[in-house]
Amino acid sequence: MASTDHHADHHDDHHGISHVASIKVLVGTGGTLLLLTLVTVLATKVDFGASINLGIAMAIAVIKATLVILFFMHLKYDKIFHTVVFMSAILAAALFVGFTLMDTGQYQHTNIWDPDSPPVAPVGPRPTTG
Amino acid sequence: MTEQPHDPHEGDHGHGPGHDAHADAGHGHHPPFIQHHYDDAQHQFDSGKLGIWLFLAQEVLFFSALFVAYVLYRHHHPEIYSYAHKYLDVKYGAINTAVLIFSSLTAAWAVRAAQLNQRKLLIGCIAVTILCALGFLGIKYIEYSHKYHEQILFGRYFDPCVSSGGVSLLTKSNHCPGHKSTVQWKDGNAVAGCYQDIDQDPSKPDVQADCQVEEVRIERGKPARVSAGAPHDCGKSGGTVIVRGDGGTYTFTGTCDEIMVVGNGNTLQIDAAKKVAVKGQNNTVRANAVDAFAGDNTTKRAIAKGISGPQPTLAGVTDADVDENKEVVREAAKTPIAAQCPDPLAHGAAQAAKKYPCWRVGYQPSVCGKKSGKDQHGVIVEYGDHGVRGDSLRINATCKPTPKATEPADPFADVVREAKIGAKEVKPYHRPTTHEEHEREAAGPPPENTNMFFTIYFAMTGLHGIHVLVGVLVFLWLLVRSIKGHFRPDYFGPIDFAALYWHIVDLIWIFLFPLLYLIH
Repeated sequence: MASTDHHADHHDDHHGISHVASIKVLVGTGGTLLLLTLVTVLATKVDFGASINLGIAMAIAVIKATLVILFFMHLKYDKIFHTVVFMSAILAAALFVGFTLMDTGQYQHTNIWDPDSPPVAPVGPRPTTG
Repeated sequence: MTEQPHDPHEGDHGHGPGHDAHADAGHGHHPPFIQHHYDDAQHQFDSGKLGIWLFLAQEVLFFSALFVAYVLYRHHHPEIYSYAHKYLDVKYGAINTAVLIFSSLTAAWAVRAAQLNQRKLLIGCIAVTILCALGFLGIKYIEYSHKYHEQILFGRYFDPCVSSGGVSLLTKSNHCPGHKSTVQWKDGNAVAGCYQDIDQDPSKPDVQADCQVEEVRIERGKPARVSAGAPHDCGKSGGTVIVRGDGGTYTFTGTCDEIMVVGNGNTLQIDAAKKVAVKGQNNTVRANAVDAFAGDNTTKRAIAKGISGPQPTLAGVTDADVDENKEVVREAAKTPIAAQCPDPLAHGAAQAAKKYPCWRVGYQPSVCGKKSGKDQHGVIVEYGDHGVRGDSLRINATCKPTPKATEPADPFADVVREAKIGAKEVKPYHRPTTHEEHEREAAGPPPENTNMFFTIYFAMTGLHGIHVLVGVLVFLWLLVRSIKGHFRPDYFGPIDFAALYWHIVDLIWIFLFPLLYLIH
């Protein structure tokens, strides 16, 4: 079907340097990305609870990123070694974030702003000048 | 759907080292675009491709530092993110996302065009990519310049005038009143804030406020010890006093806050006192007016007026009533300092040092509103810090804002919001700032340290923006080369690598957009 056609298709155009993406794949990927952008904007307008909203937004972002990497960046058709290189970087980045969040329980949570109690004017000494 | 498992040829042409290419390129003849240290086109392309992937991996790590900052700060201060993201316009963020995705598509298409030797299409795709990138930067410019004008910036350049807790985020002297206005809103009414040009700038011809400003010395200390005999003037030397001893006679003039007595057989002659507490036996209290009284039943009382309602219990004297070490806060020495409202440099000390933190100007219902029975239309100016013991100064200003006689020409007249200070309506004749809009919507000022959001925002989007700018330059270079016809099916590496770079720029924005603009 589509994919066989497309392989057959570019078999002719292929000059052995690299994979040629079909128009169908390119436009399909672009269209899906735009659609997902719309979905993520709309999803934010619905209140699922702060963490679920964040989860949805991040899940959509990951899907979009995957589409970009696989099709726009040709990683699906590229050497496996390039995937290894790139995924190592992603893994390292995930480790940075993960390790940073590991000790967050150690700190006092400071929720400074409370919308229910409006701020009160300060009263106190004036710092000495100079 | 694109991948159908099974085409035995996939491995051959989909990946890598094409044997045909090797054969095509030949060994004898070296095409001009192949640098001499490469065997052939394939070798050159593969080396470049590995290089760009290593660079992209580095880019991911590069940006990850900022993502760590983002995640850590968001985890600790979710309230800052949920407030501050409202300063960003989802519309612009979404348009920019779409623009980048579209340019990614054209960049990917450019690669295809180069591979298939479609020169006009290649030039077109590169041109569209550049236009999209410029469009992205244009929208960024709109966003950044808006933030610049309203001082929604990083670090101390984020200036909402007042933060929660009433502590000014500003340390620039002379900045808060008169320069930037911010209004705190509650139920559609302004309850606190700096009203630009309404009451802060005496140099303007249309000053609207008539303010009484005074400096009040606030003393903190222990109750004064009073000795027998000489009359004690409460009005002069402290309204909270303690008497210790037996059989003495004490006279108090003026209005005392609190008189504490520890001892037996004393006689107290009091003019007026808010509270009298007697611990001991056979004491006598004569007073014109006492609001509250505590003592045992051996105490003789002759109080003309003041104690209303049921008689106070005579048994209930606690140690707290006669605590010699309690902290006494009292307002003393009120000095008028200026006839006009809050010029932050009007005060001598500030003028000398110019290091005065921002004065807080705000309408304070608890001070000037119903509770104290004072003029409800007042604007209170206070200066100071929280929770520090010791003497302090407070600047009180009671202002009566009056609407201006004539409204100046204002291009944004139709969007001018009417503010209410208490019951009186005041028309700020500036367009409400983003700060004001958000404070009104959220019924409160930004949380403390909201500037950190913008520090992270500008770091992330700024670094990303620089990448976009670099992308524009790279694609311009490729545009020139493609017009010159440098690229051909066996030489399109630069296009492919630039497109990969462009995709990573898009990829990062795909995460930045929801993380910065789409916080629920």
